[in-house]
Amino acid sequence: MSPKMVTPTEVGSVVESALRILWSDGHLSRYGWHGLRVHCPCAACKGEWTTRRHLDPASIPSTIRPLRIERVGAYALRPVWSDGHSTGIYPFNYLRHDICECDECVARRAAAEIAEQPTARQPDRP
Amino acid sequence: MSSRAIVDREQVLEALRDVQDPELHKSIVELDMVKEIQIRDGTVSVDALLTIGACPLRETIVASIEERLRSLPGVKTVQVSLGVMTPEQRQALIGKLHGGGAGAPTGAPASAGRRSSFLTAESATRVIVIASGKGGVGKSTVTVNLAAALQATGRRVGVMDADVYGFSIPRMLGVSGQPTLIDNMIIPLERDGIRVMSIGFLMPSEDEAVVWRGPMLHKTLTTFIGEVHWGDDLEYLLIDLPPGTGDVSITLAQTLPQSHMVIVTTPQVAAVKVAQRAAKMAEKVNMEVIGIVENMSGFIPAPGADPVYIFGRGGGLRLAELLGVPLLGEIPLDPAVREGSDAGVPIVLSAPESPAGRAFRAVAGRLAERVPVPAG
Repeated sequence: MSPKMVTPTEVGSVVESALRILWSDGHLSRYGWHGLRVHCPCAACKGEWTTRRHLDPASIPSTIRPLRIERVGAYALRPVWSDGHSTGIYPFNYLRHDICECDECVARRAAAEIAEQPTARQPDRP
Repeated sequence: MSSRAIVDREQVLEALRDVQDPELHKSIVELDMVKEIQIRDGTVSVDALLTIGACPLRETIVASIEERLRSLPGVKTVQVSLGVMTPEQRQALIGKLHGGGAGAPTGAPASAGRRSSFLTAESATRVIVIASGKGGVGKSTVTVNLAAALQATGRRVGVMDADVYGFSIPRMLGVSGQPTLIDNMIIPLERDGIRVMSIGFLMPSEDEAVVWRGPMLHKTLTTFIGEVHWGDDLEYLLIDLPPGTGDVSITLAQTLPQSHMVIVTTPQVAAVKVAQRAAKMAEKVNMEVIGIVENMSGFIPAPGADPVYIFGRGGGLRLAELLGVPLLGEIPLDPAVREGSDAGVPIVLSAPESPAGRAFRAVAGRLAERVPVPAG
């Protein structure tokens, strides 16, 4: 059996100052709205074939906010942003393992990067 | 009301609660289809409202009302007259079917409740998608036979044909015709109690080809999920996917909050790699693969003879081991399976005791064990 995907047990509200997700593995993630928008995994933001890591942060207004966040099937979240953008489907694995901004995850990713081979995984994009 | 009346209005209404709309599977009382009841001596007159004027089953409704009321003591004659709902009444009924359930006194707007029950993660309906890596492995045949086998054990089953380009479910189940439309709500066709929806029912003829690009597929699929009245009593919805991991699979993965996958493969080892890709997709979209069905396993040339392994051996088992999921069964290659599909009678119904019939029923049993319907 494929290991069960980690899923959110609680997703914070868009009215808060940052996105908060409590995961089924007990981890609590935190994402600033601007950072979340910059890390949009959609083809328009990341490029379809290029290896662009993410958008130029300066191109996104610092006041960016989601109007709402929808759940996609059993595997992802989709924010509808105040700039009208809404094609980014953020798989749970990507949110949990690749872009979480909590101190622990930031440190873990930094350590992995130093250990040469950057492990920046492509987000799943079905 | 005459003093000689033997039954009263409440008793009649209570009796009518047992009468179901044959398409909507709900009591005509609950659906507000009973407009008026008059009782004079031994005669009961009922005014009932049909959802649409062209209701194909109007005779059935009249007959069920008559039969039920005649069983009441003292009722000699039953008169049924039929009317048709106004658009407002129809909208109220659709809101009721999609939304809050029986008489939920919520002030929620009807549009907010317009969702199939299995579009919520808490739904009791078990959604099982039947997938394969490559085409021609008998996915649709497996789908209809599993549906028939589950139905035979008393489960309420629906089949959604998501193979939009290569639809074949209507022929294999022997259903044709056009689904009833109540405004925007589509009532699935039925075959032996199995509720069926296919793009084939919306095409002018079986010879017609669906030549569409992705966005149309997406719209069709979301309609099949959201606007077909599958009924909130449905226990299993089997979805026949097209081969591979294309647009249709993605749409379903993005729309269904909970679903399970069964992968169909052949014994050929070369097919295993391809079938693995279906599993890979399931993993990405957090669908649980609950098992493998190996179709076209050994051919038994004569009763009691040793099987001939035309497509090789062990593909299903190899795939199951690679994925760490159970092999739900091996369906022997039997011309009767194909004949059943062509004639519209799945072998589970035409020859339940044949080796293939037994194999399908065993798979259905294991499926129901792996994904049980909630008790109660």
